[in-house]
Amino acid sequence: MTGPAAYLDHAAASPLDPRVRAAMLPYLDARFGSPSSLHEWGRAPAEALEEARAAVAALVGAEPGQVVFTAGATEARNLAVKGLRGANARLGDGVVASAVEHPATLAACRSAERGGARLTIVPVDGGGHIDADALRAAVDATTALVCLVHGQPDIGTLQRLGPLVAATRGAREEARIVVDAGETAGLVPVDAAALDADALVLGGGPIGGPPWTGALVVRPGARLHPLIEGGLQESGKRAGAEDVPGIVGLGAAARIAVEEMDAAAVRSRALARRLTRGLLAVPDVRLNGDPDADGRIPGHVQVSAGWVEGESLCLALAARGVAVSPGSACTAHAGKAAPALEAIGLKAPWTHSAVLFTLRAVTSEAEVDHAIAAFADAVAALRAMSPLTP
Amino acid sequence: MTARVVDALGTWCPVPIHLIARAARSAGPGDVIELLADDPLIEVDLPAWCHSSGNELVALRRDGDSWVGVVTVRTGGSGDDARH
Repeated sequence: MTGPAAYLDHAAASPLDPRVRAAMLPYLDARFGSPSSLHEWGRAPAEALEEARAAVAALVGAEPGQVVFTAGATEARNLAVKGLRGANARLGDGVVASAVEHPATLAACRSAERGGARLTIVPVDGGGHIDADALRAAVDATTALVCLVHGQPDIGTLQRLGPLVAATRGAREEARIVVDAGETAGLVPVDAAALDADALVLGGGPIGGPPWTGALVVRPGARLHPLIEGGLQESGKRAGAEDVPGIVGLGAAARIAVEEMDAAAVRSRALARRLTRGLLAVPDVRLNGDPDADGRIPGHVQVSAGWVEGESLCLALAARGVAVSPGSACTAHAGKAAPALEAIGLKAPWTHSAVLFTLRAVTSEAEVDHAIAAFADAVAALRAMSPLTP
Repeated sequence: MTARVVDALGTWCPVPIHLIARAARSAGPGDVIELLADDPLIEVDLPAWCHSSGNELVALRRDGDSWVGVVTVRTGGSGDDARH
């Protein structure tokens, strides 16, 4: 299979760093044992699991014992919302979430609402930033859980978390706070201790590990009911046989990210600026999210192209050798507008005309330039066919 | 001596006992382990486990709606297997 001329869909999937792959392979081969086994075949996987736990903890300034490995960030989001709420019911029935949470977090919050929780959604401004005053007003004496996304997966906006956590703590000190760094940890620095959150969501993809891996970093004393019950894996907070090769890969990626994250972010943001300039040169195209590349997840560029439907544009770009995602990776197949786009005030057809480019340090300037040319050509071709084009 | 803290808050029987058994297995005689738990069964399970495993229950007290158990390890490597 020949790859696209420009692969700019790294948020969906990214090629594994050869160093990560090399770290994983022995655990698919000779070191196949279960870390729960008492015999010698269990020893190397058990030790590797703990080494990976220490590496992931070090990436975010946490203690190894705080790390609960999950099958991806979506599971970690569900574990955080449902597990913290379930174990802290005494705090009240209030759940507060920003309007730009990851769809998995919003779905878990809606599920809690169906179970009797009182859900309050906090609005954002046109750039996707959570309003700290509105957050403070939403948190009251019955609020048990507050969900704050660090990097929004669709529009890419990075939140300034310090004031948001402080606003929450100021309104109710004991409320449990979930920070979702599932799209950011590994790409930008995240410090769990400084954040003062009760749970921190991590995703394997942005760290550079397998995308099906993830973790929840839980503050001691936060109280968390397991979502998956059974054995004693992950200290009883996540039962089920551990994905040893995946977790080892996640640990290897975390060690690499500590060393290389800053330089990678500088390069990804420079590439994103180059891409943004080229895309916005096409008439009636708008950039979504924070207008400054430094205010978004590194390498994250989402644009809406007027009078063009996002999925059609995605397919037209694919036909021109450019791999991207429709504006909302999680809602595209349902044909729905992404909640984040509605939250920043966009209306149809802008909510349905978005495409998402996600670049990494491995992206080349040639890929970016190819994508710019293909985008201009695809938009012109689709507008020529559209009866809506003025 | 600083106690090693085992956080079993939010988990149910038998998880808290397995977690302290695992901690005791990797500890040495004289080490102190503090178990945090909010499963009410801990009031029964922790004394029973200490008795059966030969470890010393120093204290088991309420802390709000949870319990704090303090155990001095006497046997090390004792208790049932926690890795399954």
